[in-house]
Amino acid sequence: MPKKNEIPMAPLIEARNLSKRYGSHVALNNANLSIEAGRIVGLIGPNGAGKTSALRAMLGLTTYEGELRVLGREPFRERTALMNDACFIADVAVLPSWLRVDQAIDYVAGVHPRFRRDRALGFLARTQITGKRRMRELSKGMKTQVHLALTMAIDAKLLVLDEPTLGLDILARRSFYDALVNDYMDESRTIVITTHQVEEVENLLTDAIFIDRGRIVLDLSLEDIAQRFLAVSVAADKLEAARALKPFHERHVLGKTVLYFEAMKREQLAEFGELHTPSIADLFVAKLSGGAS
Amino acid sequence: MNHYIWLIRREFWERRAIWIVPAVVSAALILVALFGRTQFISDVPLESPYVGKVYLGLTGALFITIMMLYSTLYLLDCLYDDRRDRSVLFWKSLPISDTDTVLSKLIVALFAIPLVSFVAADVTSLIVAFIVSVRARSMIGGALWEGGAWLQMQALWLYVILTAAIWYLPVAGWCLMVSAWVKRAPMLWSVLPLLVAYLIERFFLGTHYLATLIGGRLGGYAAAAFHGSWNVNDVTSSAWQFMDIGGFFTNRATWIGAAVGAAMVAATIQMRMRRAEV
Repeated sequence: MPKKNEIPMAPLIEARNLSKRYGSHVALNNANLSIEAGRIVGLIGPNGAGKTSALRAMLGLTTYEGELRVLGREPFRERTALMNDACFIADVAVLPSWLRVDQAIDYVAGVHPRFRRDRALGFLARTQITGKRRMRELSKGMKTQVHLALTMAIDAKLLVLDEPTLGLDILARRSFYDALVNDYMDESRTIVITTHQVEEVENLLTDAIFIDRGRIVLDLSLEDIAQRFLAVSVAADKLEAARALKPFHERHVLGKTVLYFEAMKREQLAEFGELHTPSIADLFVAKLSGGAS
Repeated sequence: MNHYIWLIRREFWERRAIWIVPAVVSAALILVALFGRTQFISDVPLESPYVGKVYLGLTGALFITIMMLYSTLYLLDCLYDDRRDRSVLFWKSLPISDTDTVLSKLIVALFAIPLVSFVAADVTSLIVAFIVSVRARSMIGGALWEGGAWLQMQALWLYVILTAAIWYLPVAGWCLMVSAWVKRAPMLWSVLPLLVAYLIERFFLGTHYLATLIGGRLGGYAAAAFHGSWNVNDVTSSAWQFMDIGGFFTNRATWIGAAVGAAMVAATIQMRMRRAEV
């Protein structure tokens, strides 16, 4: 008899044949994905791949075709209820310029049942930001801090971040992710991040989903990626032999050739050169460009 | 219901003109009363009962006219501005339905803005009357209470706010729809399609139903809500007799307009659910 807590939970987000068209342009093409609770998922893809469309659909901001459940709800039909348990930062520029910091806190406290004012204030107390400042007077980094303070003070099950650090300098980006890791993350929370700065979030993620031209091309946990993919730096004399094992991607770096393999045993490849697990960024490039580069 | 308080408060934070505009008008009138010429006061027969009514009527009408213009601008902007600066994505990240958002804007335009103007008109008319009374050593202040003029005016303006909200609902609904839909220039788009439709109708059909319809709505309010005229000279004639309450609420045009307006508001909500960008 399985114990009660061993029964697998329904995924937090589940999409079946999710499609989104804008006129003749297909932004999402029968995408399937499933995100379990407690994961930190990177939704990674080139510009125009359908990342934002996927997030918009999950957050109930747009209509879609196919089946989609987020926290057991249909996002478009039940956006209001969904926003009690999910929150998102769509882009750093979205806090309106006329809004004062204290008004923002009052407003969210007024309309959001799960907002904890003391937490927002505690977070802001560590910054230079005072309550009477209007958003238009704040730098982009400060605005992000305000937005993050508002968002992190909400006891949400799901946090969605769409290019959260776009346009921020490196200091602001670093402090954004530090705050996210130190103040927000715990096992009960699920985070979905899209970014094209993959390197920045790589060590945060538990899962990576690659999306390209509206399709999901890879959806794996980082452990699975480490087991499944190998990169080998091959010396020139062994190149032909290594190529015979059908790498899915080749890359030339500093006179060496790196070959990328999927579902191969370490022992089989070890003879050709140094083995390592490809970084998500490398894997992303490898998967999406295919062939030799 | 509690979150409506916050939604409406939000509008007052964003649109400080809601109280700045009436405050400026009020200040201007008070300045005129303080420093303007007052000789004409002596020519006015203050004992006649109409002085108070006319004075209150004119002050109120000035505020109401400015308020209506501002409300229209507000309606055209309110669902467009946050899409333009993308703050709509912040508002939509909170558990507030699009229905509540749209209705809160409608409430602000049709009730909150008029009520602020109404209070401003009241306060201003009392202050100005007091100043003029002191400066001209006349009793225009006293004339306000003649025949219950002041109280009647309060009832009249509340009646105007209520009936205008119903009568102009299709206009408000149209403005909201434009505001929720257009990619740019909501003011232009509020007029352009109607103008094109009018021209098409005129040149191809030779009729002018649309013009009659819109003209009747925009200009037909007074005729729908009031009896022909208010004999202010007659002490026994009161604001109550001037208001055509029965006529207004049994008029088919009132309710057809309201139904069309409600349909437009419903359409606005659907647009708002689907459109988060300009």
